[in-house]
Amino acid sequence: MRPEAGPGEWASWGVSPSSVAASGGRLPPIALTTNCPSCGVGLVPEALRERCYVCDCGHHFRMHADAWIALLADAGSWQERWADIRPHDLLEWKVPRAYQETLDQARAEGLNEAVRVGTATLAGLAVWLAVFDFRFVGGSLSIVAGERLTRSLEQAAATRTPYLLLAASGGARMQEGILALMQMAKINGAVGRLHQMGVPYFAVLTDPTYGGVPASLALLADVNIAEPGAAIGFTGPRVIKQSTHADLPPGFQSAEFQLRCGQVDLVVPRTELRARLAHLIQLYTRPGRGRG
Amino acid sequence: MPKRPRDTLSVWQVVELARHPERPYALDYIRRMAPDFVELHGDRVSHDDPALVAGPGSWRGLTVMFFGQQKGRNLAERVARNWAMMHPEGYRKAMRLARQAAKFGFPIVSLVDTPGAFPGAGAEERGIALAIGQAIMGWFEIPVPVVAAVIGEGGSGGALGMAVADRVLMLENSIYSVASPEAAASIVWRDSARKVEAAAQLQVTSRDLQAMGVVEEVVPEPEGGAHRDHEAAACALEAALWRHLEPLLRLPASELLQHRYERFRYIDSLVQAAPDFGPKVEPRGAAGNPAER
Repeated sequence: MRPEAGPGEWASWGVSPSSVAASGGRLPPIALTTNCPSCGVGLVPEALRERCYVCDCGHHFRMHADAWIALLADAGSWQERWADIRPHDLLEWKVPRAYQETLDQARAEGLNEAVRVGTATLAGLAVWLAVFDFRFVGGSLSIVAGERLTRSLEQAAATRTPYLLLAASGGARMQEGILALMQMAKINGAVGRLHQMGVPYFAVLTDPTYGGVPASLALLADVNIAEPGAAIGFTGPRVIKQSTHADLPPGFQSAEFQLRCGQVDLVVPRTELRARLAHLIQLYTRPGRGRG
Repeated sequence: MPKRPRDTLSVWQVVELARHPERPYALDYIRRMAPDFVELHGDRVSHDDPALVAGPGSWRGLTVMFFGQQKGRNLAERVARNWAMMHPEGYRKAMRLARQAAKFGFPIVSLVDTPGAFPGAGAEERGIALAIGQAIMGWFEIPVPVVAAVIGEGGSGGALGMAVADRVLMLENSIYSVASPEAAASIVWRDSARKVEAAAQLQVTSRDLQAMGVVEEVVPEPEGGAHRDHEAAACALEAALWRHLEPLLRLPASELLQHRYERFRYIDSLVQAAPDFGPKVEPRGAAGNPAER
């Protein structure tokens, strides 16, 4: 099925993980509280920025899509695709807040939907990169998000380029109704084809990843990676408590919990993530591997 | 509920009909369609999920693999069936038997009727999100015809996990939604009591979904709702399922799978047609697509 690897197709093999910087470029500022919610220490934004927004105590602050792209992609390598697809208020959703107003405000703030996709290199290795943006309606899975994910998965399959997903989402977007739910099927059809083509797929699950995103593509990677302390699950703890009146143990649905439950392969600190990904991409794209 | 012309029902009245305690449930339809239905059990890993009934039966001269999310008629049955809310084991059982159907070339009929996947700690520990995701992906690789019908409640990912099909039908007074009205109200208003407004905004009725191009056909129910005449409701559903399944039996597997992929790939074509949706990606081989409406 796979054509012979031509000269240069895997020419980037041989990047030493120890030579991979924690960040591809300088991270943009993110919104921070004055103190760390885990250890209470007063935060120095500039110092934190140099440490990929990880506190000394190990707390990982939520990053937006721009920060993730700056962290993962080599500086200057990010080429965004299909940024011009725009969401629509197809249900004419009015209360408690008009969806159109939500969309207009997000756009005025310079945000472009809950998922952005494009090509990049990571330590010189070509990847398709899809990044959720939790700032845009809670990173919710919408028609535009689903379309960008599906197109990029199809392109990655067609060009045999490793696919890298950065997940952060509250689930499907209510204001787009049933068509938001249908994105899960649309996306997973494309994930299946990516796997059939033998293209490696890596997912990074960050805080929080819930609902329709882990129930569609986010846990179907060849290697599922979670950030330390990230909350990952299908149903959120509030709803579980409401519907079953059960007490949930401390750390329920944390990355470490999901590692014990067999749902993720690795829990990787953000400062080591990029080197780990570079290593994994090389392991899974080594020339002359099994498939003919 | 008083008898009234169907067009005057409010959205919430439709929700109540979809959840009516005397409404026919999956086994009421399956046993009428295939009186020799044999229920099979277990995911072959750890458990059986009684919220999903599954197994082969004879229907119109074929062996068909039936699936149905099954509610209970009384309290004991409801508890035993877990209100048709599936655990991960249910989706794994579904995939096991879907692959079995593929082995023998049996077509598949899936009846959807669930408020959603079970929102409990055990389901989370045993990987409910992954189980649904694997099922949704898995259905695209089952090379036999799959026809699904929403017969009551189509709640969220828990319903979609059993509704990735070549054709999806809905009974007239059933609902299909991104989240249950209660859950949507809880997410949007942080107050599940706003469920009536949420249901209206979500556009969850069969007519809404047909208008959005998500389902191929709305199957009319007996006057007043399916609960008033189980036999007539089953006859109408049986005929509609066959009308959609029969032409699929003649398609080669590769075409079937390509059409199933495209059915969902372009399911939002209504929205994609908008001028600022960006560069168009043309459907491949769209001509003669049986999923086209």
